[in-house]
Amino acid sequence: MAKILVVAEVKGTEIKKPTLELLSHAKSLNIDTEAVLIGDGVSEQAGILAGYGARKVYLADDSSLGLYNTASSTALVLDAVKQSEASQVWLSASELGRDLTPRVAARLGVGALTDLTKLEVDGDEITAYRPSMSTKVIQKCGFAKEGIRVLCIRAGAFDAADAEPATADVVNLSLPEQDIRALVKEIVTESTGEVDLQEAEIVVSVGRGVKGPEGVDFVRPLAQVLGAAYGSSRAVCDAGWAPHTAQVGQTGKVVAPDVYFAIGISGAIQHLAGMSGSKLIIAINKDPDAPIFKVADYGIVGDLFKVVPILIEEFKKIKEA
Amino acid sequence: MNIIVLIKQVIDVELNLRIKDGALVEDGLNYVISSWDETAIEAALQLVETVGAGEVTLITIGPERASDALRKGLAMGADKAVHVLDSAFDGSDSFAYARGLAKLLETREYDLILAGKQAQDTDAGLTPSMLAEFLGLPQVTNIVKVDQAEEGKMVLHRKGDHGNEVIELTLPAVVSVNDSLNEPRLASLRGIMQAKKKPMETMDLAAIGGDASLVGESGRQTKIISLLEPEARQAGKKFEGSEEETSKQVIDLLLNEAKIFA
Repeated sequence: MAKILVVAEVKGTEIKKPTLELLSHAKSLNIDTEAVLIGDGVSEQAGILAGYGARKVYLADDSSLGLYNTASSTALVLDAVKQSEASQVWLSASELGRDLTPRVAARLGVGALTDLTKLEVDGDEITAYRPSMSTKVIQKCGFAKEGIRVLCIRAGAFDAADAEPATADVVNLSLPEQDIRALVKEIVTESTGEVDLQEAEIVVSVGRGVKGPEGVDFVRPLAQVLGAAYGSSRAVCDAGWAPHTAQVGQTGKVVAPDVYFAIGISGAIQHLAGMSGSKLIIAINKDPDAPIFKVADYGIVGDLFKVVPILIEEFKKIKEA
Repeated sequence: MNIIVLIKQVIDVELNLRIKDGALVEDGLNYVISSWDETAIEAALQLVETVGAGEVTLITIGPERASDALRKGLAMGADKAVHVLDSAFDGSDSFAYARGLAKLLETREYDLILAGKQAQDTDAGLTPSMLAEFLGLPQVTNIVKVDQAEEGKMVLHRKGDHGNEVIELTLPAVVSVNDSLNEPRLASLRGIMQAKKKPMETMDLAAIGGDASLVGESGRQTKIISLLEPEARQAGKKFEGSEEETSKQVIDLLLNEAKIFA
């Protein structure tokens, strides 16, 4: 019998939305699903995971686990896999998930499929789809051998369902004893406590067209009025106008929100690879030939410094109405 | 500091790629060094310069033409290269490549293994961490900054989900790089000339002590069933004219066609 173990992710002590998407999809498949929850002060979140379909939660809640580290998480996930006898391990394709997936798979002695945007599940028979070659090619792929299926799935591939009241059956994991040779000392937060890019339903991103840090600040109120996450192109991050955590693109965050505003972004393929899964794309650019217009549902050819204030004004009116 | 850099030669993804019958049309394809690997080479060269001692060895597993990627790295300034060349590796997935690399590296001495965070063709990013696991080494993936480097120890910034994670790393280790880490140098003419004389060792599976059942099609854990064209996004409506008019037209569509606030 197939059984899925979802590796839950938290921001602080809150469960992240991509985790809820994985649980919701597992539940919709009617496959027995459990979760592993690792963090500091996260015990109460076990009930949330149960509400989204986890029948059992393997919990490691300790002050040493507040910052993600590969070695501890690998050992804890392995312990949970063993105890649950899961035949599949599902992770989110976050920076954490991308770091942890290959390590967990290799320790289990199996391969992994990453950055999945679509999944067909028939018991433990998996057919998966993933973008490759800067999203110019979609790989249809699967497993070549028997063994535990390790899958790393992009945010937005599935929808999160509504939670149902449930109580979690919690199993406490014991902390692994090991010497940590890659120790996370601290997180230098460049982010400003704004909406998380991979959680947001709307993302507003700016590119080189904003001309400088003042331009980044100029567009920010648009994100605020929309309750959107605020991202940027690689050029803007490399120039130091915005933190690297704000970078949308193949080497930054891959996002697939309901609505994506590309403002002053020309649309380099690495950027397109990071956002072309968005449901609706709106582009504003001076250059009518900018590649971004090839993927945009609605495009405005014009000066962003004139367009953005109008949008802010109009959206304010709509929100207040 | 002795550094191994893992290199992969990949299809140039900047060019147009065509798919026929579930596979790439070979005609017109061009092969280049994966761009993240250039970042890794640059990082290795800078580290040796910072520490003031050591050498940079490039390693690839790939067909004959992959030696071009090694030569390019040697021209940038790496000291020597190892080319694992054996058709037994054909059809390998990340797992099988990592097994092969582990076999080669288990008998070598090094302080650090560097790699790109992913290869530009598969975009998977699995091999470095799988290799770290097989070698029993710590890993740090997706680094954007080297804060400190000395013999046996480094302080790195990894781009995490909620900020840069500052990581104290005890060597030896496997580290993968984000392309924000540096701007790879261009090979000088002198470098290109010198590269021709630098040592490049070619080894087959037997020479690295590998087992044919663990690599290639027999060793792979995952498989590509076929390649598909991405669903093309239809270019939508594009408005030109005064900003007042075009903005209102788009807002009207957002409200009444896309219904984003419904």
